[in-house]
Amino acid sequence: MSIGLLLLIVVGLGVIGYILGRRRALASVAGDPRKLHSLPSQYGQSVFLFTVVPALLLLIVWLLAAPSVIDGQVRGTVTTDGVSQSEIDLKMADVGRISDGLGALMAANDMSEDDLTALTPGDSDLRGQLAAVGVAVGADVEPAVFEAAKHKRSLTNSAGLIRTVLILLVALAGLAYAMTRIRPDFRARNVSEAVVKALLLGSSLIAILTTVGIVLSLIFETMHFFRLYPAKDFFLSLTWNPQFRGGSDLGVWPLIWGTLYVSFIALLVAVPIGLLAAIYLAEYATKRVRSVAKPLIEILAGIPTIVYGLFALITVGPMLRDYFAQPLGLGNSSSSVMTAGLVMGIMLIPFVSSLSDDIINSVPQSMRDGSYGLGATKSESIKQVILPAALPGVVGAVLLAASRAIGETMIVVLGAGAAAKLSMNPFEAMTTVTVKIVSQLTGDTEFASPETLVAFALGLTLFVFTLGLNVLALYIVRKYREQYE
Amino acid sequence: MYDTKRVESIVGQDDIKISARKVQVYYGDKHAIKDVDVDILDKTVTAFIGPSGCGKSTFLRCINRMNDTIPIARIEGQIKLDGEDIYDKRVDPVQLRARVGMVFQKPNPFPKSIYDNVAYGARIHGLARNKAELDEIIEKSLRGAALWNEVKDRLNEPGTGLSGGQQQRLCIARAVATSPEVLLMDEPCSALDPIATGQVEELIDQLRQEFSVVIVTHSMQQAARVSQKTAFFHLGNLVEYGDTDDIFTKPRDTRTEAYISGRIG
Repeated sequence: MSIGLLLLIVVGLGVIGYILGRRRALASVAGDPRKLHSLPSQYGQSVFLFTVVPALLLLIVWLLAAPSVIDGQVRGTVTTDGVSQSEIDLKMADVGRISDGLGALMAANDMSEDDLTALTPGDSDLRGQLAAVGVAVGADVEPAVFEAAKHKRSLTNSAGLIRTVLILLVALAGLAYAMTRIRPDFRARNVSEAVVKALLLGSSLIAILTTVGIVLSLIFETMHFFRLYPAKDFFLSLTWNPQFRGGSDLGVWPLIWGTLYVSFIALLVAVPIGLLAAIYLAEYATKRVRSVAKPLIEILAGIPTIVYGLFALITVGPMLRDYFAQPLGLGNSSSSVMTAGLVMGIMLIPFVSSLSDDIINSVPQSMRDGSYGLGATKSESIKQVILPAALPGVVGAVLLAASRAIGETMIVVLGAGAAAKLSMNPFEAMTTVTVKIVSQLTGDTEFASPETLVAFALGLTLFVFTLGLNVLALYIVRKYREQYE
Repeated sequence: MYDTKRVESIVGQDDIKISARKVQVYYGDKHAIKDVDVDILDKTVTAFIGPSGCGKSTFLRCINRMNDTIPIARIEGQIKLDGEDIYDKRVDPVQLRARVGMVFQKPNPFPKSIYDNVAYGARIHGLARNKAELDEIIEKSLRGAALWNEVKDRLNEPGTGLSGGQQQRLCIARAVATSPEVLLMDEPCSALDPIATGQVEELIDQLRQEFSVVIVTHSMQQAARVSQKTAFFHLGNLVEYGDTDDIFTKPRDTRTEAYISGRIG
């Protein structure tokens, strides 16, 4: 039975349980719901939850565990002495494909289970038949592999049957158990409440565990990298020069410098413009202007970064080169830190303006009244009362924009180029950490080489930087909040 | 219903600080203030009383043009401060508000230190030439608001850290620091406990030595305690205006009588 159908049946049982549970609860008090501890529908809910949740949990565990258990069983049959681990892996891949192929073959050619058992790898057209149903097998099939595939198929089939039966049993058992619990004084409301709580907790756990998982995988790969490449060189070398043949210089500083330089220019553009736009929108614009202007600015945030990248590559880069860099004698490159920084700054304007606008709007009207009531003009009130009151939030908005700037890739590739350099000249091509992560991982080098693994060390460095920024943001926000509220 | 000439005979022309004639206020389509005539005296506490929504706060906000900040509000008629029409085109509302200070219902100290809160108006209007003068203004204002002794050792702490009553007195000190001629108070004690209310009321009585004070209040006891003149508003009309003692002991209008005896409200 397919998983979709199984799910449908379990949910169907749950719905039946809901109806039965509700009815039973009402029947137990002779149709007078006031005598029940909870609402009738909550009794129904408790039955539904007891039917569906354990069955689904079991299904999830089964789906995660079953393939590896079956693989372990089959692996024993193809393992022979003196064969390397990677060869067995290759064979197992074949086994998997052939066993899938056999299933497809059966469905396509209307064969019975007996016909399948009768198949042997000696059959002349087995490869052809498998190819006909879309399974390509490399060489002629070894008898051991073919037997293993059949074995796997039968195991999978019986496992599927056991799964279906087991899950339906669990669902029915849950339904029956929940039905027996229904009495007028059964606290069904508390059951619903506890389940909702568990659901919320589960959701937040998923977010946290994912973060932990990502960080751990970064850390392990980084440790792997540092076994192959000295950490001292990574952190202290000022050259970034990866070689395909090995012997690379993988100093992180040129990349960090490029990242910070581009981000700095981007913030230099985005923060003043964004903040001033936010002040205009929040304090000066009439309702009509605001209702048009705010969505228009927010459209900027919806443009894909690759489009900004193209804008940088085709328009901004050449313009900066022709009108600034060349006349000033600062360089001939159309890719430059300035190009990427400017365009990224434009991208970040809506982040700063939209968040700051909300924050300025949330400054209480009584602050404005107080200031106007003392004879302050609008701009005096904004400078001296409203902005200081909104400062924690504005700092948060700026740091959020900074995190975006540090993590941005596409604009840098197209705007600033891919050359890792340590230079003060903003009209020179440089590159950032993220760009190098992409280029190191997409190269042709083998995965276990330091040239590839350095990507994880770079990723971890980036993570530490943005984490630091977020901690700083939290610290600033908290500090000022204590002072002002 | 209400006789302007009678008022003029009561108060005598010389002491009049603010004189309002035929003031109408509209909020969109709503006619919030209807034909209000009133003369407010210098160095006197005038109380505006009346049931909720009767327009007393709205009228108060006309006196320093705070209603200008509300886009849908429209004002007709004439309000004169020292004989000068405050709604004249040549009058800058910002300067007017420096002369006519305002204290609000909820204490609204700025998110700044106590010192900076009081210094705010003085700095904006350039009242002090140097730090020493500013310090002097701060001390005088805080003393004037009966807050100096409580805060003199912690002027650099945030004003928001004070208790509710202290915050309200800080707001009064802040208004006093700009040396206004009139102080408008919109239910200044409604967010305060009885002890803080007592302190603020005492303060209002002292402020009368220097300014004309107009206070909007829900509490008739408060009006009776702090004011010399009382105006009773009802449904946007000024029903009765006169000496506080007269209003509370022998009201002329039946609506006033009904309100102060607790039958409307």
